Amino acid sequence: MMSMPRIPTRMIVPSLLLAALIVIPFAAPLITAEDPIKMAVRYRLAAPDLAHWLGRDEFGRDRLARVLYGGQVSLTVAFVATSIACIVGTFFGLIGAYFRGPSEFITTRLSDIVLCFPPILLALLVVTLFGPGAGTLVAVLSVLYFPTFARIAFSEALRVTSLDFVEASRALGTPSRRIVLGTILPNIAGPLSVQYSLTAAAAITIESGLSFLGLGVVPPAPSWGQMIRGARQFMNQDPLGILIPCAALVLTIYAINFFCDRLRDTLDPKGGAGSGMDDVSAPLALANAPAIDDPDVVAMITDLRLETSRYGTPVAVIEEVSLTLRANQCTALVGESGSGKSLSSLALMGLLPGAIRQASGTLQLRRKSGDVVDLGFLDARTLEDIRGNDIAMIFQEPMTSLNPIHTISGQMIEAILAHRPMSKTEARSHAIALLKRVGMNDAERRIDSYPDQMSGGMRQRVMIAMAFACEPRLLIADEPTTALDVTIQAEIIELLQSLRQDQASGLSLLFVSHNLGIVADIADRVAVMYSGQIVEEGLADLILRDPHHPYTRALIESMPSSHEALHSTGGDRLPAISGTPPLPSARPSGCAFRDRCPIAIASCAEIRPQLYPSPDGERSVRCLRAPEAPGGLQMSRTEAA
Amino acid sequence: MLAFISRRLATAVVMLLVIGTIIFSLLIIVPGDPAELLLSTGGGSATPEAIANLRSTMGLDKPVLVQYATFLYDTARLDFGTSIVDSGSISSAIALRLPRTLEIIVVGAILALAVAIPTGTAAGLRAGGRFDIAASAVNALLTSVPGFVVGTLFIYFFAQVLGWLPAGGYVAFAANPAQHLQMLILPSVTVGLHLATIVFRMTRASVLEMRGHDWVRTAVAKGLRRKRVVRRHILHNALGPIITVVGLQLGILLGSTVLVEFVYNWPGLSGLLVSAVEQRDYPTVRAVILTVAAIFIAINTVIDILSSLLDPRIRLQ
Amino acid sequence: MTQAPLLDVQKLRKSYPIGRRGLFSRRTLNVLHDVSFSVAPGEVLGLVGESGSGKSTIGRAILRLIESESAAMRFKGQDLNTIPSGRLRDLRKDMQIIFQDPYASLDPRKTIRAVLSEALDAHGLHRGPARGPRLTELVNLVGLDPSFLDRRPHEFSGGQRQRIGIARALAVEPSFIVCDEAVSALDVSIQAQVLNLLADLRAMTGVSLLFISHDLSVVRFISDRVMVLYLGRVMEVGPADQVHFAPKHPYTAALVSAEPSLHRENRRIRLTGEIPSPLSLPSGCIFRNRCPYALPACADTVPQLQTVGDQHQAACLRHDIL
Repeated sequence: MMSMPRIPTRMIVPSLLLAALIVIPFAAPLITAEDPIKMAVRYRLAAPDLAHWLGRDEFGRDRLARVLYGGQVSLTVAFVATSIACIVGTFFGLIGAYFRGPSEFITTRLSDIVLCFPPILLALLVVTLFGPGAGTLVAVLSVLYFPTFARIAFSEALRVTSLDFVEASRALGTPSRRIVLGTILPNIAGPLSVQYSLTAAAAITIESGLSFLGLGVVPPAPSWGQMIRGARQFMNQDPLGILIPCAALVLTIYAINFFCDRLRDTLDPKGGAGSGMDDVSAPLALANAPAIDDPDVVAMITDLRLETSRYGTPVAVIEEVSLTLRANQCTALVGESGSGKSLSSLALMGLLPGAIRQASGTLQLRRKSGDVVDLGFLDARTLEDIRGNDIAMIFQEPMTSLNPIHTISGQMIEAILAHRPMSKTEARSHAIALLKRVGMNDAERRIDSYPDQMSGGMRQRVMIAMAFACEPRLLIADEPTTALDVTIQAEIIELLQSLRQDQASGLSLLFVSHNLGIVADIADRVAVMYSGQIVEEGLADLILRDPHHPYTRALIESMPSSHEALHSTGGDRLPAISGTPPLPSARPSGCAFRDRCPIAIASCAEIRPQLYPSPDGERSVRCLRAPEAPGGLQMSRTEAA
Repeated sequence: MLAFISRRLATAVVMLLVIGTIIFSLLIIVPGDPAELLLSTGGGSATPEAIANLRSTMGLDKPVLVQYATFLYDTARLDFGTSIVDSGSISSAIALRLPRTLEIIVVGAILALAVAIPTGTAAGLRAGGRFDIAASAVNALLTSVPGFVVGTLFIYFFAQVLGWLPAGGYVAFAANPAQHLQMLILPSVTVGLHLATIVFRMTRASVLEMRGHDWVRTAVAKGLRRKRVVRRHILHNALGPIITVVGLQLGILLGSTVLVEFVYNWPGLSGLLVSAVEQRDYPTVRAVILTVAAIFIAINTVIDILSSLLDPRIRLQ
Repeated sequence: MTQAPLLDVQKLRKSYPIGRRGLFSRRTLNVLHDVSFSVAPGEVLGLVGESGSGKSTIGRAILRLIESESAAMRFKGQDLNTIPSGRLRDLRKDMQIIFQDPYASLDPRKTIRAVLSEALDAHGLHRGPARGPRLTELVNLVGLDPSFLDRRPHEFSGGQRQRIGIARALAVEPSFIVCDEAVSALDVSIQAQVLNLLADLRAMTGVSLLFISHDLSVVRFISDRVMVLYLGRVMEVGPADQVHFAPKHPYTAALVSAEPSLHRENRRIRLTGEIPSPLSLPSGCIFRNRCPYALPACADTVPQLQTVGDQHQAACLRHDIL
């Protein structure tokens, strides 16, 4: 059921160029009637004329004919050899990967050995024994290159075989032959075709090189390498003699490489991951930042709007996000994947991915010095001073968040020295003290280990210790326990709570999570995000106990742990909402949640709800039907359920 | 660490042994009489005395196992026997020419790394930017020019048209240092150019990949200066993959050096090799190739040990 | 349970050779150690454990997707250990699997029609004109629109992909499905939908499930019985509500108490120490270095599963203190 994929636009030019360069030599009889090996010594090195567009060579042979027929030889040798190598190599690689055992050994070891020989030398060795000629070349090149194909086919097939969909095919009882040919082969065809182009280019290089040495294609049969060799002595009188075959050779190899590059890009598009190493474009129209009078406020996000151009036109991934983070307070940012909760926190760190741009809004921070700065307006140097010092962050993946090639001590010490003027020895003892504070036994010894020698839970402790290195005022924890086992998760949450309590400087914690249970444990305030907006915000107890937004309610109700009395065998079902969150490019008009909302009314499609504050100001909710909204329902939780 | 190094060294020795065996057995599996095969030139075949003579000099009249043992023993002593063309000692011919070949390669490699690592890093850090697009385009073009074409074109432009540098040849450093260096420029740049395209490509890709890793985000979040993040958390990590690829590419580099030496009439191993191939002087060809393979394996062993110093994960395995 | 079990596994073991240290002393890593259990027709057995507990290995070993050793492994009375490979293919019609990662579990190059057809083709089901209606029926069954059949996986959300994975498993009308973390990668609102779907399908078709998950509440909701694993060994097995609300093994109790909950006041049982490396397990009870109730005696004997209630067993010397 494979269907031909459409040719992507960026493949058109390289494909046409390559096709032209392959077809033209083989169309030689249509282009010129001259014989490439007929000598006419009288006309040696004759300049181009109407009958002989490219002139004649040192034996008076027509150069156009020689270039074209020479191309036939080069291309034939290269593509025949590459095809043989590809077919044989792929066969061995697939067998090795799918059935493992001895075939695996042969595949990998054999290629190790062949890869040891410089290709051209191996070719020379064989030429010594068998004499030069196109046949010898094809044989040598196929032997030289099939291990590379075997290797790529092997490792790619191994990767694909371990994927669930191959396992699913096996579980279905699909015969092995069909799995290998119908499922694995199409999925490794990409890397193989890239290798095919690379190898063809390399084969042309080797063929022409050997012919250049006089050890490849046997004269008088034309070949580009030979033409260059012959014309070398006359390069003074007749520069065309070397320039033409050089140009033909380079153009052909370039066309193949160009095709190969584009093919690789098409098959393996690399998304720009955000790591803060991207050049972040400055925000455009920024609203005037409101003054922060309350000294308790550590950071304030006002009306943040982030856009992406992924969908062609700029689309808001986050809009109207406002959040106030206070000292000695834990604010939880809650939502499902794609809700924009992580982006909001990354914006505070200035770590937005390259594809995402701050379109408007302000991100204010009160530094330790008491100055209030707008993070969107700072130069890179000041931002570096703030990161790790005023704001610190811990991430979701402890396994990849530490650099595997540096010791823990190295990574902690550099974090300390980035902001604190002290000696390395002082920094080291400070780092040990930090590790002890996060509950690492034997910190003096373990500080010199590498991340790979530690468990995920321990690495997350290291990340936390590092975040606390300079006593930040704001700590952002982005799903810090999601990748951890439940018992370890509980320990890390407990650790974060205890660190919060003994922080004298009044730490503000921004806790990003999808897990309402953890949030209930740790948060003072909760902001629930849906499709790029905060839909409900307020005191954690209030919101989690009595949610006013139907989405918050649905989130809580969907959790099996909310229903300890329900059991599927008793015919019970979880009160789930239907549908999925919309993509940023396909949000419905009015309220973004109305498609899935059990209490939506007609006006939900027309009016974009605001965040309506409650009379006491303790909470606000973005729903026309919430009690806070003008004319909203005065409903209780039971009524809605 | 010591265990790792000794394991790598043992592997290298085994590889050498396997390669020696393969090269040795090539002569055995050739159909027909190797002596006759080697002496046949064009259409004519050699006299029976000449064949018998060659058989005894090459030891082909002895049992295969004896031949094999002798071959291994002699090779281990670096005694490659004598040329079947001029009966000279192959070992001393190699000893004379190897340093000249290594000189081009080392100078070429230094030039290549000095140019390609900084440009590759800059391109990788700002992938998709103007510099990256320009550098990658130039690189794509240079990748497509085989070494001997570069050499031929260099000679045409720098020696023939501009007359800046000699077209080729060799003078010993001791005899005339200035001229030696002058003659060294084109060959080593030619060799280096090819390596540089590979190193550029690899550096760019590696930096681009490392840049996206979570630990770089951590480093930025710690408030490290951009330069330090690039050096310690991107380049340092990228270096391992880069030198591994360089090591593997050295095989191709050693091969293309043969052509480059030939183009510039640089009397390194290649002259020896090419004339030996032309004259079907199998013992000489075999010795040169063994030497090159040994250098290749030695370099890769050193590189493996180097990368284990760069990346503790390799040691800790 | 009076019925003959659908699946009966006795002393399942799985080990991997690791890092050759010299030629002779091959070390092995035991990921499963004498795991025995059975699944009745129509029953849902939940399998709970943290990473490294071997729970996924069990699922794959039963389906013979990986090789393992066991004293006995019977499915519908047939011994899976000795079954010839031809018969194994037929048996695959009866046992299916649903995977965790909705992105890796579908071939990106195949349309949904091709995915489901592969399942039917493998066993020659619904050929010719019967194929179309059957495919429509399958996508309807998992709550998708038949117009989706000619799309490729990248056009679907995670929850929709998971439904397609379920449809693929149901295509061959199996009597037993391994659900390997089948809802773990889904957001909570989608997870509830898929859990309900599984519960409905089970009620409709009477299929048995081996429901593997690290999420205790999910397992409690969907399962009849729950088995708790720690480092490849069974710690406790029993009726879902009993294991969840009245655990008899300290490890289960710690797991339940560690689970974050909106509604329960957390009286967390503190575990000390780290999970031991599977290469150097403690003597006696493997949980003892983290167990708050451990006695010196726990180091001497490996506790066996013993009955602690109706159909409820725990492997702990001190099961009576909980």
